[in-house]
Amino acid sequence: MRRAHLLGLGFLSPALAIILMLFLIPVLLTVMFSFTNMSTATGISGGAYEINAASLRKLADAGAQESFVETLGKESFVVDDAGITAAAAAYGEQFANEVGSQMLGERFSSRRDLERAFRKLKSRPRSTRDIKKAADLFKRSVLNIRFETAGGLVDAVTDNGIEMTPDQQELLTKTIYTGWTWTSDNFALMAQIPYVWRVAGNTVLYVVLTLAASVGMGLFLAITTFYLPSSAASSFRAIWFLPRILPNVIFVLMWKWLAWDTGFLSSLLANFGVPPRNWMLDTGVNAWVFIVLINGIVGASLGMILFGSAIKSIPQSMLHASEVDGASRWQQIRYIILPQLRWPIMFICAYSTLSLLTSFEYILLSTDGGPGGATEVWSLMAFHTALDNYAGNLQYGLGAAMALMLVIVGILASLVYLRIFNFNDLVAKPRIEQ
Amino acid sequence: MRISIENFTKSFGDTTVIEDMSLEIGDGEMLALLGPSGCGKSTTLFAICGIHRMNAGRLMFGDADVTEVSSQKRNVGVVFQNYALYPHMNVYENIAFPLKVRKESKAEVDRKVQEIAGLVHIGELLQRRPMQLSGGQQQRVALARALIRKPDILLLDEPLANLDAKLRLEMRSEIRRIQLATGITAVLVTHDQVEAMSMCDRIALMDKGQIVQLSTPKDMYESPSSDFVAGFLGNPPIAFLDGTVADGGFRLANSQVTLPVPSGIEVPGEGAPMRFGVRPEFFQPGNPLKVPGKVSFVETQGREELYDVTLENGAVLRSIQSQNAGFKLGQEVSWGIEQDRVLAFGPDGNRL
Repeated sequence: MRRAHLLGLGFLSPALAIILMLFLIPVLLTVMFSFTNMSTATGISGGAYEINAASLRKLADAGAQESFVETLGKESFVVDDAGITAAAAAYGEQFANEVGSQMLGERFSSRRDLERAFRKLKSRPRSTRDIKKAADLFKRSVLNIRFETAGGLVDAVTDNGIEMTPDQQELLTKTIYTGWTWTSDNFALMAQIPYVWRVAGNTVLYVVLTLAASVGMGLFLAITTFYLPSSAASSFRAIWFLPRILPNVIFVLMWKWLAWDTGFLSSLLANFGVPPRNWMLDTGVNAWVFIVLINGIVGASLGMILFGSAIKSIPQSMLHASEVDGASRWQQIRYIILPQLRWPIMFICAYSTLSLLTSFEYILLSTDGGPGGATEVWSLMAFHTALDNYAGNLQYGLGAAMALMLVIVGILASLVYLRIFNFNDLVAKPRIEQ
Repeated sequence: MRISIENFTKSFGDTTVIEDMSLEIGDGEMLALLGPSGCGKSTTLFAICGIHRMNAGRLMFGDADVTEVSSQKRNVGVVFQNYALYPHMNVYENIAFPLKVRKESKAEVDRKVQEIAGLVHIGELLQRRPMQLSGGQQQRVALARALIRKPDILLLDEPLANLDAKLRLEMRSEIRRIQLATGITAVLVTHDQVEAMSMCDRIALMDKGQIVQLSTPKDMYESPSSDFVAGFLGNPPIAFLDGTVADGGFRLANSQVTLPVPSGIEVPGEGAPMRFGVRPEFFQPGNPLKVPGKVSFVETQGREELYDVTLENGAVLRSIQSQNAGFKLGQEVSWGIEQDRVLAFGPDGNRL
């Protein structure tokens, strides 16, 4: 490798680092997370095994036999050394020795059975209350105990005298684990979400409408400013560029102020007897109109600049030629200007499709997917699922799987666009004569 | 169609490019607007086709006042310097464009395109894109597009400037042939005096927004109205001698040499500055009115040889002679001026 190559690599390294840190690693992590069931409940570090009321319900849901679940939930009474020691401390050595010599190792499925056995002993406590208390000392249960390993849990359960088939054992350890595990269920789970197809449809609608609005507005602005005197045109362009340099939050806040029930629209229309309402969230259609306008106006400024400069690069003499050839303004736009904007238009379409697919900030800030999910798009759904869930259980794994779908769609779309653009032609040497 | 420009004034912002210009171009005539860059010749052309609006004055096509008519409605064909072909259309579509915007029928368009393509010899190129054509072919397409709707006037803005020398020669006669074949009134803008002289019926020589002389090429060459015109026309260019009037003759500056003044001109007062212009073909060894000097430059042009002769006072005369004269650089010579062909100019530069 020559020194110049090393130098080039050196200059490139910040960019490579940024690509690695901000693109490749996040994508890899997304892929990784999408094959886990991580959520707020599981945490992102390890977990433990614990049988409790909630995990027993989960076990029943997972299809465990009712009797098995019942046995696990029940308490049992075992005469063991620990119990005998406790009994010696509470009710004297004599009682403890008698229990130890006659009943060691015996099991009772209920306290009453143990009490009955105690009553046969000579040195038993006198009062019924004390016998009950003594029996309680031998109560053994796997409920509400944390086990760090599956083996510990299984041992404890067997020690409690609960017999398990291997199937039951596997089901138990799998179901009651509180940490995350590797799984490919997220994709099946995604397909089962009842509103998922509506969200997919919304995404297509969002991309198509916003793209149409921003390209249309961009073209309109570029062409109109082209025919304006240059000073007026540049101030006009500057005004249209404001939304892009304005902080997103402030930009959307102004739209909200325009639309909400004490805002500009409502106040204005109140004069005509229209009852005030939140125009943005009033109906689904309204919400879409606002979403498309908010995104379209920001997108239009980019189109305006790109199309504007493309129009300016058309030689003046070509426009003069079309004029003396008899073309009217409209014919000039239709036959001379628009055909030469083909590449910029396609570029904006390709670029915007990819960025719109993944962008949700304006929707998040304005309608947050409302009203009633009418404007929920895929990326926002992924965000809501993984990071901002109303129910509070943030499903990182499922959200990551949703995001992964976007990554796949984005890569496929890029391949299609590269094909359409015929990238090699675009970077070919210009063939400029003259 | 006759074009008449009356009292035409054009300014861009504070700069007045053309002031109070008048010009008459006859029906079927080919006129050259000739002049150095920035003299206003292209501005005049753009005013005729309506791309530039006139600030003052009147423009008539035939008997119609078209001053306020938009360029779309003037029915003028224009060939631009860079041809201004539409890159996204093929040759056929380019040529058909003026008919397409007039919504003529397909059959009619096709017939006219084939006809004009035959006239300019590009019948076999119709399916190509402009980018796939050579400069000369692009030029022919531009001509065909300008001519297809039978315009009243054909305007050519430096049509040969972007061609190489050989093609330029070929297209010079082509354009003239097509203009004569169609009988169209044509205006050619050029800074090249050879183009103007070889292609046009008349030349309007412009300088600083004014027409300084309007006449036929031959007339303009032989009797220029000023030293500017004399200097602009002719290749190799004319040589000038500065001096004063002395004893009714022409005394060279810083010298005792006195030359007789050509007959029939009005000599200014004694001691007034005067300029002689001598074309290279009229400064030859055989002429009687000898001027001594030294050969200071020799240029072989093939058929001819060009000599610069530096006179004793430092002034330079130019001579063009047929091959094999065999003069060497630095050689002392005494060649003669053809007295009657000397052009004499007064102190203001105007011809005497």
